[in-house]
Amino acid sequence: MTETAAGAQADGSAAGALVWDWSVRLFHWTTVALIPMLWLSAENGAMDWHRRFGLTLMGLLIFRLYWGVAGMSTARFQNFVKGPKAITAYIARMKRPYTPAAGHNPLGALSVIALLAALTAQITAGLFAVDVDGIESGPLSSLISFKQGRAAAEFHEFFFNVLLALIVLHIAAVAYYFIALKTNLVRTMVTGRRKGAVTANAGPFPLTRFLIGAALAVAAVTLVQL
Amino acid sequence: MTAPLKMLGKTLGAGFALLALAACGGEDSASVSSEQESKVLPGGGTVKEMVEMRHEAMEDIGDSFKTISDQLKSGSPDLDAMKSSAALIAEHAPNVGDWFPAETSPALGVDTDALATIWERPEDFAAIAAKFETAAGELNAAAQTGDVEAIGAAFKATGGQCKACHDDFREDD
Repeated sequence: MTETAAGAQADGSAAGALVWDWSVRLFHWTTVALIPMLWLSAENGAMDWHRRFGLTLMGLLIFRLYWGVAGMSTARFQNFVKGPKAITAYIARMKRPYTPAAGHNPLGALSVIALLAALTAQITAGLFAVDVDGIESGPLSSLISFKQGRAAAEFHEFFFNVLLALIVLHIAAVAYYFIALKTNLVRTMVTGRRKGAVTANAGPFPLTRFLIGAALAVAAVTLVQL
Repeated sequence: MTAPLKMLGKTLGAGFALLALAACGGEDSASVSSEQESKVLPGGGTVKEMVEMRHEAMEDIGDSFKTISDQLKSGSPDLDAMKSSAALIAEHAPNVGDWFPAETSPALGVDTDALATIWERPEDFAAIAAKFETAAGELNAAAQTGDVEAIGAAFKATGGQCKACHDDFREDD
């Protein structure tokens, strides 16, 4: 790997090196579970549940954004967000035999950023959304007018399609890696480990920094409900 | 709510309003329906004016409804705000049935979220409009007493009528 950070080392152990720490994996799979639950609750008008799921996802997202700055190496934006040069160079390497990146590759980074940004936009709109009857509303809707809240709701409804498109693209890319590049990204997102991976996620899990992030997320979720 | 949050809300609110404007502007092409929309109604005013008037009046009701909802959710509800909002809803409620003359049906090419079912099932529509009027009157009566619990119950009942009518007679959005 060209983007090997200082202190990184090839891991020869049977389980493989730690590519994704447990908090990144927990964020990923909880989001996977919550999105269909959010859709179902909205479609069935179970808005109490929709708010609960949405606020849970908001907390998780805030944690992930924080972890992108203060988390373990492969979770940090500055370690995987690259410019167009690195992206085209990476695309040229996308053929068999393929050696997976230690964390997010430069192309996948775009997907991560797009998905996190889309989730942020979607959740923000949801916080302010007001339904057509003026009965159901997001926890921050009292800060804006009915008309603005309706606009937020319309955006929230429309933007779900954008989010869905990004998710489909994400799944298609994962399938491509599996079929064309013989690389199982799903297993790595479950176990966190990849055999032969070169990783900079060295050292113990930074528990204090994790607790700060968790506290931040809980505080934000509490604050919007005040 | 803290000041920075309030500012964030205001900014985002303005953003959403802009988005909505942009969305409306996109649909506002010169359409085939303009001929029907410029027709003058028996009671005076054009079809387009009627559609705009009822849209704004519905938004007023929605605004008032949201005010009551916000106050009910807050720890210290503002009774005056609830009273004036409930009064406004009760003032509009008896007229709702008159806002939908047959000339304003989307079946005639009029740009409206009202569904043609209003004129296909006029008795049902009239019945639900009457129920809304009753519920709105009760909400107003509760609001004027200042009994928050009673307002909450009447609010739920009135909201149920809004929703029931929108489910059957308004474009789902």
